[in-house]
Amino acid sequence: MNKRNPLRKRLLRELKSEIGKYLVIFLLLTASIGFVSGFLVADGSMMIAYDESFEKYNIEHGSFQLANEMNRAQRKAIESNGVTIYDNDYIEEELDNGSTIRLYANREEVNKLCLMKGKMPETADEIAVDRMYAENNHIAVGDTIGNQTHTWKVTGLAAFSDYSCLFSDNDDSMFDSVKFGVGALTKEGYARLDQRRKIYRYAWKYAREPADEQQEKEWSEDLMKVINAETDLEDFIPRYLNKAIQFTGEDLGSDRSMMIALLYIIIVIMAFVFGVTVSNTISKEAAVIGTLRASGYTRGELVRHYISMPLLVTFVSAIVGNILGYTVFKNVCVMMYYGSYSLPTYETIWSAEAFVLTTAVPVLLMIAINVLVLRRKLKLSPLKFLRRDLTRRRQKRAVKLSPRIPFFSRFRLRVIFQNAGNYVILMIGILFANLLLMFGLALPDVLDHYQDALQNNLLCNYQYMLKVPMNAMDEEHKLRSLIAMLQFRHGVRTEQEEAEAFSAYALNTQGEGLYPSESVVLYGVDEDSRYIKDIGETDIKVSSAYAEKFGLQAGDTITLKEEYEDTTYDFTITGVYDYIGAIAVFMNRGKLNETFDLGDDYYCGYFTDTPITDIDAKYIGSVTSLDDLIKISRQLDVSMGSMMYLVEVFAILIFMVLVYLLSKIIIEKNAQSISMTKILGYTNREIGGLYIVSTTIVVVLCLLLSLPLEYWIMYLIFRVMMMTSISGWIPFVFSPMLYVKMFAMGIVTYAVVALLEYRKVRSVPMDEALKNVE
Amino acid sequence: MGNELDIDNFSHQLRWMTTNSRSLFVRNLRAFGGGKIHRKGEAMFLAIKDIRKSFGEGDSRVEVLKGIGIEIEKGEFCVLLGPSGSGKSTLLNIIGGIDRPDSGEIIIDGERMADMREKKLTAYRRKHLGYIFQMYNLIPNLTVRENIEVGAYLGEHPLDVDELLHTLGLFEHRNKLPNQLSGGQQQRTAIGRAIVKNPDILLCDEPTGALDYQTSKEILKLIETVNRKYGNVVLMVTHNDAIKDMADRVVRMHDGMIRKNYRNEMRVPAENLDW
Repeated sequence: MNKRNPLRKRLLRELKSEIGKYLVIFLLLTASIGFVSGFLVADGSMMIAYDESFEKYNIEHGSFQLANEMNRAQRKAIESNGVTIYDNDYIEEELDNGSTIRLYANREEVNKLCLMKGKMPETADEIAVDRMYAENNHIAVGDTIGNQTHTWKVTGLAAFSDYSCLFSDNDDSMFDSVKFGVGALTKEGYARLDQRRKIYRYAWKYAREPADEQQEKEWSEDLMKVINAETDLEDFIPRYLNKAIQFTGEDLGSDRSMMIALLYIIIVIMAFVFGVTVSNTISKEAAVIGTLRASGYTRGELVRHYISMPLLVTFVSAIVGNILGYTVFKNVCVMMYYGSYSLPTYETIWSAEAFVLTTAVPVLLMIAINVLVLRRKLKLSPLKFLRRDLTRRRQKRAVKLSPRIPFFSRFRLRVIFQNAGNYVILMIGILFANLLLMFGLALPDVLDHYQDALQNNLLCNYQYMLKVPMNAMDEEHKLRSLIAMLQFRHGVRTEQEEAEAFSAYALNTQGEGLYPSESVVLYGVDEDSRYIKDIGETDIKVSSAYAEKFGLQAGDTITLKEEYEDTTYDFTITGVYDYIGAIAVFMNRGKLNETFDLGDDYYCGYFTDTPITDIDAKYIGSVTSLDDLIKISRQLDVSMGSMMYLVEVFAILIFMVLVYLLSKIIIEKNAQSISMTKILGYTNREIGGLYIVSTTIVVVLCLLLSLPLEYWIMYLIFRVMMMTSISGWIPFVFSPMLYVKMFAMGIVTYAVVALLEYRKVRSVPMDEALKNVE
Repeated sequence: MGNELDIDNFSHQLRWMTTNSRSLFVRNLRAFGGGKIHRKGEAMFLAIKDIRKSFGEGDSRVEVLKGIGIEIEKGEFCVLLGPSGSGKSTLLNIIGGIDRPDSGEIIIDGERMADMREKKLTAYRRKHLGYIFQMYNLIPNLTVRENIEVGAYLGEHPLDVDELLHTLGLFEHRNKLPNQLSGGQQQRTAIGRAIVKNPDILLCDEPTGALDYQTSKEILKLIETVNRKYGNVVLMVTHNDAIKDMADRVVRMHDGMIRKNYRNEMRVPAENLDW
């Protein structure tokens, strides 16, 4: 006959009597599991939608830009290399709302779009725009957008498959879904635009998918040589390097592991909290356990009994969490993604993996940790339990404390020693919660600081990059190149007094391991430059952003390489130039021109504090102002700003729950002593002063001492984040006021818990001490 | 002897009290001198009047104390005797202010306990009482010395802790934790904690209940010494009949009532007790 352990009848009663504790743990676990489950489902579903979009919307394998329209012969020559070329040209318009929109004639073959709301444009004055851009600029279907020359009625909001992340330029550090958008017009609508400003961009697709990235790389390198030989190639971006397409996928993947790690940290902390709670119950029930063990109950039976509640709570939390994950939290997370990325419509896909990760793994973690704690605790002989002697070592010595220390202080120290285990868990918990809190508080602060710093150390107000036609540097057609160069020189001459010419060259860092290769701009400046000071003839100074990101200093040698070639260049740094706006190298213009064989008086841009108005617009590649530089911080703020509030609330919640549970355990553990001191005539205030103040001391010390540790951990996390997923550099700055804020938030939260604990101290009955009398 | 008879007569009357016991008790009190009870030539310190206490509800309601009245003089060593369930511990707890009676009152040094609210009751315990339990109830994470200091903190003029440690024979164990001590040493520590603040009343609930014969005698001697040296009232609950011989007053309880209440004129030193 299968007999059931009669002890199980206690479980419901245990649940009832400790409902507060279990409810708090349940809520925290449910919220954590629910959020992560929702996140994984959203992330998984989004990832699938994203992956499928390559085929569904026929996303290009790459694109290139030519100075002029490609002719039929060129197209044929290139296509004979096993690729299909598609027109992918666009025209950009500045709109009245201060943003720039990149307009395409609706592309029906390649890079198709996914209409998410409304309908596609049907007449020349209708437009479908990117959904995210629309949201960030408060544009709805039916609204009219435009500038002084054109206006369009927005008929639809869509996800453009080659702009899941709105990077306007592949060299940008960060995408920009506020000031940059994409739109689709009808062919007629597109034809109405100023065709002189058309950017001749072409997309290509291979006849078959490359087997892996290596092959993709080889194919694209071969293709680039072909195109370069046939045309005036201005820009070439294979898909695997195209941030507008790839960034979303990479980010979807990286968030996932972070969320799972966060969940497991919470589960492990909660498992230890359960462990401590159960240990406390075992101490309380020592005599009963001794009797049961003496009567023949096995250790296993007792382990199973005491582990039931933690498991039950975890399991129910996991189930409820998953239900909430699929219903409520999934939508929250989807909205978060839709708030950062221009993803196509998705379908919720049930993920067995997500279920296992948020149900089986937490339960297993809970079992493992609790079995460990319980087996250790229940290892003692029945006799020891009967004698209520649960110390492992027979003679546990007291730590010697001088009687000169005031009595209350000694008492508190004893409480701290007695509960060292609890306090260690509390410390880890506080460290974790505070890290989250620091993250929540630091990010907006870091971004603010970055914007201020950028503003304060701009190289100049406007940086004009000139677009040297690729054919001006064509070694094989010397005459053609000479003419092009002459035309260019003439077109970019300026009378503007403040303008100062510089030469520039783009190279890439080598990129090792986790760290991707990153673009470095080398500036060649005049010796007596009014904008970049103190650059001597032999100087190689790296920007402070570069120095900080890669830990460089004077004397170090950096090796940079050509983006699409194997040629490398070594430079020995002579100093650091205070500039955080870009990963850049500053050197003498003559030296730069000589190094890259550009000709003595070559220059390709101007530094100026006032706009230049007298150069040919077609030679202006880009104008960089402060607004462009703060793009990265603006976007991070839009994508993550609202989430930070959530992170802060969650951190406070974890902090509160942990302090509440662990200090509750300490009071319960000492209930008999508390009761005894009451009998002796101690007031509740005095008892609070002994038992609660001990926890207060630990909490305050934890809060204070963990701050520097948290700073360093956060600094490392931030650094890794910067190194791996963001080009450019945002320095991690944590203002002293935030320490005060963090500490204050910790103390206020703790005060609430302390009040609850004080109530608990008050409610300890005096007969508690008399319970074991007979 | 007349006084003893009076009290015997009084407690005899109490036994027959019924539902109108309170008014009957008041009438009796008046017969004894109108609410303020005095003994010839001796200072009345603790008066327990018509204490009733029951536990449970409805059918399961059990009356544990059925109208108890005792008077104890300053410096008196009083033993409350009786079998398990006779209500002696409950009475002790009520006197100690850790339980409240359903009716009746306790007057200590002229102050009525019934009028005391929680705060005042705490102050009362703090000022007047020392407690010794069968299971010692020491604070497990404090050393011997610190456990005694727990008591010392409460007294306005506590005894010197080191001197007391010597008196208790605990000086060499002063830095040990309770679980490093024998039962006798733990109980001595508990006695130290109770007497260090020099309380007016020492309440002892089966202080030797968990100890062997020799150790019990040691503890009794110690309590006796304390009583003689400091002149505090000792109220000791026990079911060991032999202990009554060392008391000034013996109150025998049975089923929530007082069977006997008398002064022991021939007090035997604890040293000479035997059981």
